[in-house]
Amino acid sequence: MLTTTEPKRFPPWLKKKLNLGEENIWTREVIDSLSLHTVCDSAKCPNINECFSRGTATFLILGNVCTRNCGFCAVTPGIPEEPDGDEHLRIAEAAKRLNLKHVVITSVTRDDLEDGGATQFAATIKEVRNKLTNATIEVLTPDFNGDEKSIRKVLEAGPTVFNHNVETVPRLYKWVRQEADYERSLSVLRYARGYSAKLRTKSGLMLGMGEEKEEVVNVLEDLKSAGCEMITIGQYLKPSNGKLEVFRFVHPDEFKEYADLAKALGFRYVASAPFVRSSYCAEEGLLKV
Amino acid sequence: MKEVVLPELAEGVNEATVSYWHFEEGEKVEEGADLVEMMTDKATFNVPAPATGVLTKRLVEEGEVVKVGAVLAAIEEGE
Repeated sequence: MLTTTEPKRFPPWLKKKLNLGEENIWTREVIDSLSLHTVCDSAKCPNINECFSRGTATFLILGNVCTRNCGFCAVTPGIPEEPDGDEHLRIAEAAKRLNLKHVVITSVTRDDLEDGGATQFAATIKEVRNKLTNATIEVLTPDFNGDEKSIRKVLEAGPTVFNHNVETVPRLYKWVRQEADYERSLSVLRYARGYSAKLRTKSGLMLGMGEEKEEVVNVLEDLKSAGCEMITIGQYLKPSNGKLEVFRFVHPDEFKEYADLAKALGFRYVASAPFVRSSYCAEEGLLKV
Repeated sequence: MKEVVLPELAEGVNEATVSYWHFEEGEKVEEGADLVEMMTDKATFNVPAPATGVLTKRLVEEGEVVKVGAVLAAIEEGE
């Protein structure tokens, strides 16, 4: 994989309009004043200005250091600290101050913890429920090494949406998600699907990493078979030096083709466009399902 | 007179490259219109005009690397 110091030339459709409003600053203030992390910042999401301007953010729990080092992700890899004892309280407080109707919570991977951090997820879900009784809660979780006990701990806390990303096609896992396993991720989604009929399950894919169309179609079919109802598909963008180069900038028309395909396969919620991310406009998902 | 400032783009992103000016000096701009395109590692961003008026001064050139918080241009407000 080559790294380059030259700024990347972006295709004309990969443009974001910056919002100069006050809301952006307010969202940041709430997050910073409660000493919280967001995946928006830690993973350098290009949508951050847009989402913060709408008063939304995706909380990152269990610290901002990850025990894995995926090729696409800018989160700092390394040895994380012990889980923060009152983080769940501060997340719930932030959700309240931001007046969130739909709260999205994700985490780094914590292979160092026996339950992979499931206890913290459960505590956060419960605390948000306590403070915001009418809010819907979406969790975007790691694979917990496929441990069903850990996954069940999260599910028992009662999230509305359970999201776990497969990220890419199986052939590219050795570069994109070296420490993960495609079949393991499918089994996580399958397990969640089987847990409760009321639970909504969701997954996400990045394009532009060298995948072939047929491979993407196979992944969509696998996800559907695993009972997944919601799918997000977005363009991979290199977040920082040392991460995977973009193989290809995928045209918006191709994203639309995949969207049509996914809908034809029976997915109830499909978001497919260059800047789509797993929790981009996540609150819209539940309106469709 | 309204200053056009490069806003914060993301945590850890301190600068951007001026990619393309949509307007010349002396041209009329509408509030919200794409004024100048900036490029970072992650994506291309368009900075909107913060007010309606005349773009009196373009303070940075295409190709220049600019820090977050820097003043990019001046707009003389007015319909």
